[in-house]
Amino acid sequence: MKNTLLLLLAAFAVSLRAADAPRALTIGLVAKSQANPVFQAARVGAEAAARDLSAKDNLAIRIDWRTPNEEDAQKQAEAIEQLVLAGAAGIAVSCSDANKLTDAINSAVDNGVPVATFDSDAPNSKRFVTYGVDDLKCGEQVMDELAKLMDGKGVVAILAGNPNAPNLQRRVQGAREAAKKYPGIVIRDAYYHKETAQDAAAKVEQVMEANPDITGWAMIGGWALFTDNAFKWQPGTVKCVSVDALPACLAYIRSGHVPVLLAQQCYEWGYRSVEHLVDKIVFKKDPPAIKDVSELIVVNKDNVDAYAKNWDTWLPK
Amino acid sequence: MASRFRRLFGFQESGLVLIVLVLGMLLAAFSGSVRLPEFTRGPDGARRRVFETDALGNRVPAFAVRNKFLNAQNLAQLAKDTSFIAIMAVGMGIVIISGGIDLSVGAIYALASVVGAIVLRHYGPEGPAIGIFLGAAAGLGTAVLCGLLNGGLIVALRVHPFIITLGAMAILRGIAFVVTSGQSIGGFPAGFRQLVRYEVGDGLSLVPLAVMVLVMVAGWVFLSRLAAGRRVYAIGGNEMAARFSGIGVGRSKLGVYVLSGLTAGIAALLSLGYYGAATSGDGQGYELNVIAAAVVGGASLTGGRGSAFGVVLGALIIQMISSGIVLLGIDQNYSQIIIGAVVIAAVVLDNINTWLGRRRLSMTSP
Repeated sequence: MKNTLLLLLAAFAVSLRAADAPRALTIGLVAKSQANPVFQAARVGAEAAARDLSAKDNLAIRIDWRTPNEEDAQKQAEAIEQLVLAGAAGIAVSCSDANKLTDAINSAVDNGVPVATFDSDAPNSKRFVTYGVDDLKCGEQVMDELAKLMDGKGVVAILAGNPNAPNLQRRVQGAREAAKKYPGIVIRDAYYHKETAQDAAAKVEQVMEANPDITGWAMIGGWALFTDNAFKWQPGTVKCVSVDALPACLAYIRSGHVPVLLAQQCYEWGYRSVEHLVDKIVFKKDPPAIKDVSELIVVNKDNVDAYAKNWDTWLPK
Repeated sequence: MASRFRRLFGFQESGLVLIVLVLGMLLAAFSGSVRLPEFTRGPDGARRRVFETDALGNRVPAFAVRNKFLNAQNLAQLAKDTSFIAIMAVGMGIVIISGGIDLSVGAIYALASVVGAIVLRHYGPEGPAIGIFLGAAAGLGTAVLCGLLNGGLIVALRVHPFIITLGAMAILRGIAFVVTSGQSIGGFPAGFRQLVRYEVGDGLSLVPLAVMVLVMVAGWVFLSRLAAGRRVYAIGGNEMAARFSGIGVGRSKLGVYVLSGLTAGIAALLSLGYYGAATSGDGQGYELNVIAAAVVGGASLTGGRGSAFGVVLGALIIQMISSGIVLLGIDQNYSQIIIGAVVIAAVVLDNINTWLGRRRLSMTSP
């Protein structure tokens, strides 16, 4: 009898301990490429969300970062499949090629692993939420800001990044459509390149050499500004508006080369995606809408110093 | 006992097989377990989740606890992920054995993908069998043509294959971009996708594995059973001697680049069927993975040595490490360092094994 009581007490103690133990969750994070700093900020955001939510909800969240070195949708699909087999509870992905990733996302969902997309969506997949800017509007906003700086006239080049990324294609489309509102603006072309700082800066240089009449750059991604000497022209001679406001980009506002940056909330890509996934996995809560649209933040000379302070927490330590 | 062991492990690729086995055992021992959802097949053949009743009487999905590495789904996934590179590595292995190199395989893979995709999309998701056949023929034909172009230029211009295939890499990827305008191409006949993704048992897609085995066997037959294959070894071993002994070096070289193109085309078709889309950016950087697989698999960059079985094992070793990093939860920042180190270690171990084999042979010969 005494032994039975002791056993029951021990079982009770073990069950109490088990109830107190944080629930372990692994969340896979598959961004487009390791080389792009915006995705490093997303990773920091996801890890910060993992820390905050672990403390708040008695969880032990681990972020499993599985991002190809360079953009490769097939490698992303393989990473999603591997994460499912390795026991990930949820996955957040920025799609390099939506068509190629749709089956992998659907298969993960069919295997009970919810998937959120950020930055670049796979609209025909079974992902439960997508977080990021409205790409068409983003392209329009870049062109509108640039047209304001150029007084509605001049020759504009579009720096366009990876030609296969659907989100960038929509931004280019948005920029081209917005340009139609300004009869004095001529679009020379959209220029594609590998999404590394060096490749982007080299592309700008080549295009300017071949087209010295260009007076404005609409950069739908800030790749070229991740280097510290991308532009050979004097500030103000060629106008430029760019998406992204990473620390390296902010120097171009201070130098006057780029009067306006439109900041994507790339830290939030990771943070919000993890929040959405935890809500779905732990609290069985779906977001109010599949599209969770984030706004672009306008960064200019007036707020550049205040905005720069954010990067103290957003950068990988 | 010793002689039986020698018979079992005395073949050329025994060192690689040993590495695969050791890696497999390590991954099985250290990767831990995972809860995988249980499925059953309905009367219509479709997979359905299995549900059970929990302690509170709720209907919840059933899970089975399995070893993370040693379970059918993971092994099928490993085979599938290996297959694309391994198939191309068989072609690359033959090129390397001949003393050449093909840097354009990634670009051929991309161009064959997009050309095949354009034809397949033309017929759409409801497309007939003839559409699938024409799409596959277009993809494979493009790949063979690219190989023919490489081989033809190398033989006709007598320029080092490194230069010709480096140029071809840029040209072919450029063509792929121009024909797609940078767009992703999808929407293929359902029959084509179902064929490549055909599942057996517990949702296992084994078609890529089956094709990889077929290509490997074809490569083995070519290299070790056909005179044409023996000529490839002779050219790689000593091109001048091969020429003086009456071997048609130019024709053989042309043939190996066609085979390299063909294997890139086969891998591209499999990828099209499995992932359902193609872009001009496909296969970026794959040439280095394919060359690494061939070299790890025992193909000598100076020519004259290697085998189809070896290069497939080389691809498998690299993929096992890559998948193992995910299964073990190792920070991805270290993955390239680990893969690079293991590639070097695998080559060193294989060289030691070959050296021991030669030493044994020289000691036993009179």
